[in-house]
Amino acid sequence: MVFNSYTFIVFFIFILILHNLPFSWKTKKINLLIASYIFYAAWNPPFILLLWLSTVVDYFVGRSLYNEENKSKRKVLLVVSLIGNLGMLCFFKYGTFLLDNFVTLVNAVGLDYHPAKPNIILPAGISFYTFTTLCYTIDMYKRKSEPVKSLLDFSLFVTFFPHLVAGPIVRPPQLVPQFETPRKASALQLQQGLLLISLGLFMKVVLADSMLAASSDAIFSATNMVSSLDAWTGVLAFSGQIFFDFAGYSTCAIGVAACLGFVLPENFRYPYAAIGFSDFWRRWHITLSAWLRDYLYIPLGGNRKGQFRTYINLMITMLLGGLWHGASWTFVVWGALHGFYLWVEKILQDRNKTTPQAAMATESLPVQNGLAFPAALKKVLPPGLMVALFTFFLVNVTWVFFRAPDFTSAWRLLQPMFSYQSTAAPVLTSMSLLKVLIIVVLMLIFHWKMRNTSVLSVAGKMPWWLLGIIWAVLLGLLILSQESSSSFIYFQF
Amino acid sequence: MPQSSIAKAGILAIILVVIGFAAWEFYLRSKGIGIAYDDGPELWAAKRELADVPMDQATILIGSSRNKFDIDIATWEKLTGEKAIQLAVEGSSPLPMLDELAADPKFKGKVLLDVTEGLFFALAPPAFSQPNKMLKYYKERTPAQRASFAVNTVVESQLAFLDKEFFSLNAMIKESWVKNRPGVFMLPCSFPLDFKRVNFDRQCIMTKKFETDTSLRNYVKGIWYYYGTLDRMGPLKGPKLDSIFKTVQTAIAKIKGRGGKVVFVRSPSSGPYRAAEAAGYPRNAYWNRLLTSTGCQGIHFEDYPAIANFDCPEFSHLKQSDAIIYTENIVKILHDKGWTFPKENSKSL
Repeated sequence: MVFNSYTFIVFFIFILILHNLPFSWKTKKINLLIASYIFYAAWNPPFILLLWLSTVVDYFVGRSLYNEENKSKRKVLLVVSLIGNLGMLCFFKYGTFLLDNFVTLVNAVGLDYHPAKPNIILPAGISFYTFTTLCYTIDMYKRKSEPVKSLLDFSLFVTFFPHLVAGPIVRPPQLVPQFETPRKASALQLQQGLLLISLGLFMKVVLADSMLAASSDAIFSATNMVSSLDAWTGVLAFSGQIFFDFAGYSTCAIGVAACLGFVLPENFRYPYAAIGFSDFWRRWHITLSAWLRDYLYIPLGGNRKGQFRTYINLMITMLLGGLWHGASWTFVVWGALHGFYLWVEKILQDRNKTTPQAAMATESLPVQNGLAFPAALKKVLPPGLMVALFTFFLVNVTWVFFRAPDFTSAWRLLQPMFSYQSTAAPVLTSMSLLKVLIIVVLMLIFHWKMRNTSVLSVAGKMPWWLLGIIWAVLLGLLILSQESSSSFIYFQF
Repeated sequence: MPQSSIAKAGILAIILVVIGFAAWEFYLRSKGIGIAYDDGPELWAAKRELADVPMDQATILIGSSRNKFDIDIATWEKLTGEKAIQLAVEGSSPLPMLDELAADPKFKGKVLLDVTEGLFFALAPPAFSQPNKMLKYYKERTPAQRASFAVNTVVESQLAFLDKEFFSLNAMIKESWVKNRPGVFMLPCSFPLDFKRVNFDRQCIMTKKFETDTSLRNYVKGIWYYYGTLDRMGPLKGPKLDSIFKTVQTAIAKIKGRGGKVVFVRSPSSGPYRAAEAAGYPRNAYWNRLLTSTGCQGIHFEDYPAIANFDCPEFSHLKQSDAIIYTENIVKILHDKGWTFPKENSKSL
């Protein structure tokens, strides 16, 4: 079930009513759990078995990990959990990819091996719930938090429908305590939740699907060389589309949870206003980057084992982060580019620390000081703006690998982005160009203005009639767009 | 944030939205615009689902827009006592649909297959993109999408502004508002609102305004002329044409092998359109060969005086009153050819 569907509206109204009826807290939790299973089963019912398997195994393994004193047994239990979770993910998500690469490899060494193509369907949200359950067992192994007291609470933690298929990726301490005591949304929480749902749906349905998807699809599926203007417009359209699609989902998820009285962590903080790449990853898919930091980068040694290892750890984290998004080498290159950008940023930061001028620089703009922008520009423009725009430019280059189906298509797009193509026929209509450019420019302005605040805080300071008019415009355009319930891009990850 | 201010804002938003859309609906109704359904993959899939029924319960219509305009579903169902399930897709080849029905072991029914030569004997990808999109959606549809369709149908059946083709945000942002870049390929115009309204049976119904408005009719005739200029290769011949006959033959053999029946129908066209089709696709090389190679029955409108001389308002499709007459005659002709229907009314025509 997707948030942008009539089914969800009916489902959510029913759940909201049910959650506010005078049942016991345990009954309400059972209702939420059943609702979450229905929400998931509405895609492909058999895959619910995987969810059950993952939940039951990790609940019992997690408890044993926490209580077991024997070190060897603890290690065995951890390995069981890792094999169970990652094995399932590998089979469904990377099975075909691994087989393809194996076949390429054995054919390259002269063996004639051509197995039948496996027809593996990817269960929705498997990468998200695998990470959710994985962090629980790792926390239990490290005894970072207490085991969840009941299977009901643990099942609800894993399956709670607002975050189940596309995040935010929650950690046990963020959500489990909320299941321990009765919760019901306050009137303010309900109203804020509804505002966030409206905003999230507007971002997904109106901006991502209705305004930007067609231009992005037209350019990324072009089989001939496109012009520089078309290439850049297509990539900018995708930049907007992926943000509005995914941030729209997260905003809806946070809003839906708020309407039920729960708080989910923030997942996006105006990422296209990021000043540098560490800042970008503190603003884009925050719960994933925090997960990768805590469960991959830091266990690898983080920055504690010298400069060389820091760079290696950074790159490993970004490469695996890329692969998490999809079973394709293009995603690995996407991760590698981000890793490379972070390297460069770290080199600049390290260099700055060694110069007295840099020591005087503010901590918040570490990258800007390392880049040679004209001094006149630095005086005229707000601090960090040029670096933010340069970061956005580089992020766009990475999106080419993220969205292109293969390297040939990516290369076909990168060429016109960085060179003039005199023979390319124009693809996008003037109206398409206009739509993309207006939306992307407004998006950048909005991100820059909002980079240190939040929607709810800005909405809270507005006169009520102005907020009402803006809210009506969001809803009006949402109804008017008449987009059918298309999937969110991140469901495939 | 103060609780009361967000609540007041929410109430104001709801009031504005309700007033705005009520006014919009009232305006459209006052212009004579009625309900139309989004003829997308969701509606197609819902109809396809109904196709796997015994032969005496339904006839499946596949083809392109002529089937959708010319067969009046209500008349068909009244005369035959069975369902007519419209699976034709405008501007497309019927071959993907025929293939899919042939590959479905549950399908053992009757098929009425419209032959619009320019689309039937075509291999260009655009002729296949829409049918393939419909089929993909049908095969991958989730329980949630089925439920959404059910809710959507209820809402769509009440509100005229829920017409994606004409009143969605993208449809209302006209490409023509901005002068286009030279060299960009795009269709010069889209069909006017009054050309057709789509009902829940996926039947296209020409509006009375279109029937009588010469400028609207000429506008659509201009679109047909433009499409004609795009086809620089001319009618398909040689091995490529042979491959189409082979595909059709194989598919029909599978349907017949399971006890199913297929009849080809060449629907009416008129004026220069009819003349161009006759010149480009001589009956002997295309229509007759189709019947011979498949062993199927065929109804060519030129062979039956009662349906031979319709005046199509834009040369290619029938107005609704003619669609009723045409459908009555098709049912009668089928009956004469030995087709049986649950209701005996078809005999008496």
